[in-house]
Amino acid sequence: MLELQVNGKAYRVDVDPTTPLLWVLRDGLDLIGTKFGCGVGACGACTVLMDGQAMRSCVVPVSAVAGKAVTTIEGLSNDGSHPVQQAWLAESVPQCGYCQSGMMLAAVALLKHKPQPTDADIDTAMTNICRCGTYNRIRRAIHAAARRNLYV
Amino acid sequence: MSSPVQAGACVLNRREFIHSAASVGGGLLLAFGWPVGRLEAEQNIPTTRSPSAFLEIGTDGTITVTSPAVEMGQGGHTAMPMILIEELGGDWNRVQVKDAPAGVVYNNPVFHQQSTVGSFSVRGWYAELRRIGATAREMLLQAAAADWDVPAGELNAANSVISHPTSGRSCHFGSVASMAARLPVPQHPTLKSSVDFNLIGTSPRRVELSKKIDGSARYGIDVTLPNMLYAAIKMSPTLSGTLKSFDDSAAQRAAGYRATVPLPDGMIVIADSYWQARQALAQVNVEYAPGKLAGVDSPQISQILRAAFTEPGAVVRSEGDAPAVLARLPNTLEAVYEVPYLAHACMEPMNCTANIDAAGCEVWCGTQAPQGAQQAAASVLKIPIEQVRVHTQYLGGGFGRRGESDFVVQAVMAAKAVGRPVKLIWSREEDIQHDYYRPAAAIRFRAALDGEKRLSALECVVVTSSAPTRIGAGPAFYTGSIADSNYSYAVPNFRVTGLDKDLGVRFGFWRSVNESHNPFMLEGFIDEIAHHLQQDPYQFRRSLLQHGRGRRQLAVLDLAAEKAGWRNRRAGHALGIAAFEAFGSFIATVADISMKGPEIRLHRVVTAIDCGVAIHPDNIQAQLEGGMVYGLTAALRGQITLANGAVEQTNFTDYRMLTMAEMPRVECHVLPSTEAPGGIGEPGTAPIAPALANAIYAATGNRLRSLPLSSHGLTYSAQRT
Ligand code: FES
Ligand code: FES
Repeated sequence: MLELQVNGKAYRVDVDPTTPLLWVLRDGLDLIGTKFGCGVGACGACTVLMDGQAMRSCVVPVSAVAGKAVTTIEGLSNDGSHPVQQAWLAESVPQCGYCQSGMMLAAVALLKHKPQPTDADIDTAMTNICRCGTYNRIRRAIHAAARRNLYV
Repeated sequence: MSSPVQAGACVLNRREFIHSAASVGGGLLLAFGWPVGRLEAEQNIPTTRSPSAFLEIGTDGTITVTSPAVEMGQGGHTAMPMILIEELGGDWNRVQVKDAPAGVVYNNPVFHQQSTVGSFSVRGWYAELRRIGATAREMLLQAAAADWDVPAGELNAANSVISHPTSGRSCHFGSVASMAARLPVPQHPTLKSSVDFNLIGTSPRRVELSKKIDGSARYGIDVTLPNMLYAAIKMSPTLSGTLKSFDDSAAQRAAGYRATVPLPDGMIVIADSYWQARQALAQVNVEYAPGKLAGVDSPQISQILRAAFTEPGAVVRSEGDAPAVLARLPNTLEAVYEVPYLAHACMEPMNCTANIDAAGCEVWCGTQAPQGAQQAAASVLKIPIEQVRVHTQYLGGGFGRRGESDFVVQAVMAAKAVGRPVKLIWSREEDIQHDYYRPAAAIRFRAALDGEKRLSALECVVVTSSAPTRIGAGPAFYTGSIADSNYSYAVPNFRVTGLDKDLGVRFGFWRSVNESHNPFMLEGFIDEIAHHLQQDPYQFRRSLLQHGRGRRQLAVLDLAAEKAGWRNRRAGHALGIAAFEAFGSFIATVADISMKGPEIRLHRVVTAIDCGVAIHPDNIQAQLEGGMVYGLTAALRGQITLANGAVEQTNFTDYRMLTMAEMPRVECHVLPSTEAPGGIGEPGTAPIAPALANAIYAATGNRLRSLPLSSHGLTYSAQRT
């Protein structure tokens, strides 16, 4: 039995401790907003926050997150009101939307670390893949969220 | 409910086939039948038996639109209803959108298949959805007119409110919906004039967007059923391989293992969780018979394509006498262009969930072709298609890949094997190594120039490596706009021939299909001719478009050149231009670059499009920009290569996608137009490769005639300044 803290809730899961966190979230906890894209840490579709840091859950064994606070897209807000989510809506960022949970969590981690990121900061931090090519809108949305200065 | 659409009810006028009925909630339901028949009957496609509605207006005023286009990020769930609601005069904020089930009533009016492909949704449905909306509006107005005892002609409908200006009366759609449902269906509804549009041409928030910011949007991969098992799959590395033998004794001992399902070309392992299925699958030892692609490497494919230029091909375009002129004139130019295979790499790997029960079979997946999925499942189980229910989910990218149903066949086989619901998920590796690939292709061009330095003859021999014969298409298909555009360059002697060299690599529709290679080649060669004639490439293109039919093409060419600063480019910058017709739209793109040694520094991409009536301008911008990224990724480094008949690329680590840091500045200009709508999902993908290659020539004098550009030793960066 492993104890997990996800979106402020405590879970006990009975899985092989080497199982990637991604599959525990999706198939064990029914938190399906976290997506599978590559399974090798190369696309960022599976990005979640671990103690506020962005990490790719497909390459993190579930045992490694015991005792840490995990945040998934479902935990960002109850109602889509997180400033990053609102900026994503205002800029109409998503196309197919499949990459966007990971993108938003990567953006949240960036903004926490750098409340007023430059374009270069965004280039460095936002390494997730969007096959629909929404990068310019993501960039605009991050700047918009930062401008609103909602991070303290 | 309305009566079911009958198979083989041919040659009925479509409007005789609209039924109205009271809906379950008592409101107005417009079921809309097709002249189902001739085409479908000839192809022996049975129809579904359930009535199918496009529009339902509840007594509470809720408007439900069933979208004949699936939602894969291209905005179909928004654009389709907008067209209908515009004519209806409905309140956009009360609109809910549903995916259509499989059913011939949802066949695209242009090509008679229920497929969201070919940038055809708005193009194919524009007239029909307007007519459905107008029909319902007239019925609602009639109902209110009867109630108030005034002429229907004195009533207006806007925002779901019917008003009678003379008396000041008004009522909501919902209050007359059930009355309207009992009225006869008008045969000749009057359409709005486009000057009165107040929804089309605006950019309301896409209907599904709020679900795409909180993780609640359900894609195929998210489907979960009670009692469900999970399946992982691995197919023969050699593309033509077939299963010879396997040993799954170790897998059987793995945790959660349930079953092994051998396939003709691969292996499925089913377990209690997906991760367990993957782990168990990795323990199966499989031996494959390699088949006809064994020993085939990519360099050979290139040789086969190039060797075919002298073989007799099918002539698909012939104006004047190009061969004679080429033989006669001394001033000629010849060049060969080539592109490699490409994979789609949708962000969501292929997947499907299937369940077989007493009533037949249910499948859940993101599909561009619900009837294709239905037929695939029916063929596995040998049951009538009516017994297969398809539940279309959001697609995590389609790009043509999800028009295929191979993953449906596999999921149904898995569910059949265990008698329980099964969700099959491909790994990214399988996704890249078992795609339906954009074919490798090559064109040999020859041009003859007359004494006045004019382009007198142009000959194009198009050779493709994977014939699209499975869709009954031949050279006229894959030669695309080179052969069939009547709006492009005027060349007095113009000949296009096509040749298929079907090497056995599965052919696929890859965003922009034939236009993903032909314009790269033709626009490159046109550029070569311009430079050979010492003419400005933009002005040379203008000179070839001075015929009446070139009007729209000329306008976008001029706009792109103007916005990109063609005449006053910045010092040290080079510009490349490309322009053509694709998917019923006219497009032109300018790439603004500088070179630093072998590094292409892309500063800006400027695109102009005339896509006819613009339904949702913001979405057009998004599609042009996203399409450009898809094309740019391929132009820079996209290639699927074969070694011994197996795909060498494995994942995003070696089939690399463009990233944020590599994203250039993009400007898209949409020309105001009242012409019939053109496509927007695919045109944006095609022009970046030729624009970029032409810019590189302008900067370096180096003409690059094959892709990807990385194979010429070039590197890349975006310079957003
Ligand atoms: S799925 Fe985890 S990085 Fe791609
Ligand atoms: S929105 Fe489709 S992959 Fe990013």
